[in-house]
Amino acid sequence: MNRIFAIAWNTFREAVRNKILYSLLFFAVLIIVSALAIGNLTLHEEVRTIRDIGLFGIDIFGVIIAIFVGVNLLYKELDLKTVYTILPKPLWRFEFVLGKWLGILLTLAVQMVVMGMVLGVVLAVEDAHFDLATAKAVWLLFVNVTLVTSIAVFFSAFSSPFLSGFFSLGCFVVGRSIPDIRALGEKLGPAAKAVLSVFCDLAPNLHLFYPSGAIVGAEEVSVHRQFVGADYILTATGYGLAYSVVVLVLAMLIFRKRDFV
Amino acid sequence: MSDIVLRADGLAKTFHLGLFRKRVEAVKEASFDVRRGEVFGYLGPNGSGKTTTLKMLMGLVFPTRGRAEVLGRPVPNREAKRRLGYLPESPYFYEYLTPEEFLDLVGALCDVPRRERRKRADTLVARVGLDHARGRPLRKFSKGMLQRIGIAQALMGDPELVVLDEPMTGLDPIGRKEIRDLMLELKREGRTVLYSTHILPDVEMTCDRVAMIFAGRIRNVGRLSDLLTARLLSTEVCLRHGVGQIPGLPDGGRLHETADGMLMELPEGSDVDAFLRAVLAANCSVISVTQRRESLEDLFVREAGAQEGTS
Repeated sequence: MNRIFAIAWNTFREAVRNKILYSLLFFAVLIIVSALAIGNLTLHEEVRTIRDIGLFGIDIFGVIIAIFVGVNLLYKELDLKTVYTILPKPLWRFEFVLGKWLGILLTLAVQMVVMGMVLGVVLAVEDAHFDLATAKAVWLLFVNVTLVTSIAVFFSAFSSPFLSGFFSLGCFVVGRSIPDIRALGEKLGPAAKAVLSVFCDLAPNLHLFYPSGAIVGAEEVSVHRQFVGADYILTATGYGLAYSVVVLVLAMLIFRKRDFV
Repeated sequence: MSDIVLRADGLAKTFHLGLFRKRVEAVKEASFDVRRGEVFGYLGPNGSGKTTTLKMLMGLVFPTRGRAEVLGRPVPNREAKRRLGYLPESPYFYEYLTPEEFLDLVGALCDVPRRERRKRADTLVARVGLDHARGRPLRKFSKGMLQRIGIAQALMGDPELVVLDEPMTGLDPIGRKEIRDLMLELKREGRTVLYSTHILPDVEMTCDRVAMIFAGRIRNVGRLSDLLTARLLSTEVCLRHGVGQIPGLPDGGRLHETADGMLMELPEGSDVDAFLRAVLAANCSVISVTQRRESLEDLFVREAGAQEGTS
């Protein structure tokens, strides 16, 4: 376990010493803070606007950072050949992949906390609270980036950062559009519906992590009114973690068989 | 305890490169063993398969054929890895770390307890002469300094077997001497050292035994004294400039003018005594007489030539 934590801590250290990451975080904070100005342009909808834009910023920048870090950190080890020094140590290859993944998650967790705190401050300016619904929404977004990170690490185990980033982004877009793809299947006829249904079952359902505005249990949920309950959070978290584990195990199997030329 | 710490048995590696999966046989047949407590040189020209062989032994590349054992266990094995240290060719480390942070990471991966890690890192930084660079990120290190920290990380797990891939590359003469001295010091401590190189004078100064690889195939394994033929290749007689009348050279002899004098190369089988008598009778002044036997370089060139002839 110590070896995995050593790799994770080093990955975190590498990420926090990367200036590009600070630039991305800066833009995320900028968007959240700009919600204050945009909210003031609306008529009595300031808090709603701030919450929407703030969560949107956390979501999008969380995913961008997850893909950026996920595809780069593992690839960099191969490209810069640091892996030649690390893998001959008494370390299983899966421990290396797991350590990198945990390190990236730690980085993302810190980023999410920072973005969440900024949102809390912006809400406080408008005399609103960072309430339980917002906290649940941020947690779901963290599970979302956990899954996106696993997908990015999976692709980077065998392809270049550009392709890995492209595929990961593709998975994110498809994963968020699962209800739309299912609806499309309904319109296209039974055969297409069956095919798209299987596809939707296999693809990562990232829509689960952004439920605001969706119908859950015959009721529309919203972060502003009635948000999802603990059972939904648990199910979505379980799904996200289980999917991450499967993708990560596939990444480890690929990594295990790889020649480091 | 076995005398053999590393054994390569018919190792071969074929890569399939590019879109058309072009077949490249990086190593065709590598068989040798390394014995406990020796310094073993793995020699070969650039692109001969040295690094690929070492990567197979370190578990970084999977062999296409053959098998390897390190410290009595089949490769790759975590227990064996715990007892070996490895320096890759042209090493690149985490540039944002300081030497102490990097060695601490390596120590953690080698399961060295935290307190012991600090102590070992401290000792090793001093041992490889990087005391002045403590606290400086590795990105600010020169190539020679990186090579030194690379050796320090290879020793962090207190290994029995140290494997160094081209440890002299890019080093100046002082740096090379320091690495040579360090290898001999490791040997004195009872460790086994395997290193790859194409810098032959270093091998003659450090290695107990060598293996030579040419175009992916091992040609020679053994003690240098056994591999180099004992026969006399030529005798070189150096005379002072402009003193006396130089007598005629035996058949096949050659005359070279050097900065210090006249150098006469007498071929194998020449009557050197008779030639020297003639030289002295002609009032010439003899500076030196040197018997030239086969050097490692001669053997290397001979084997490389033979390999070219067969390929």
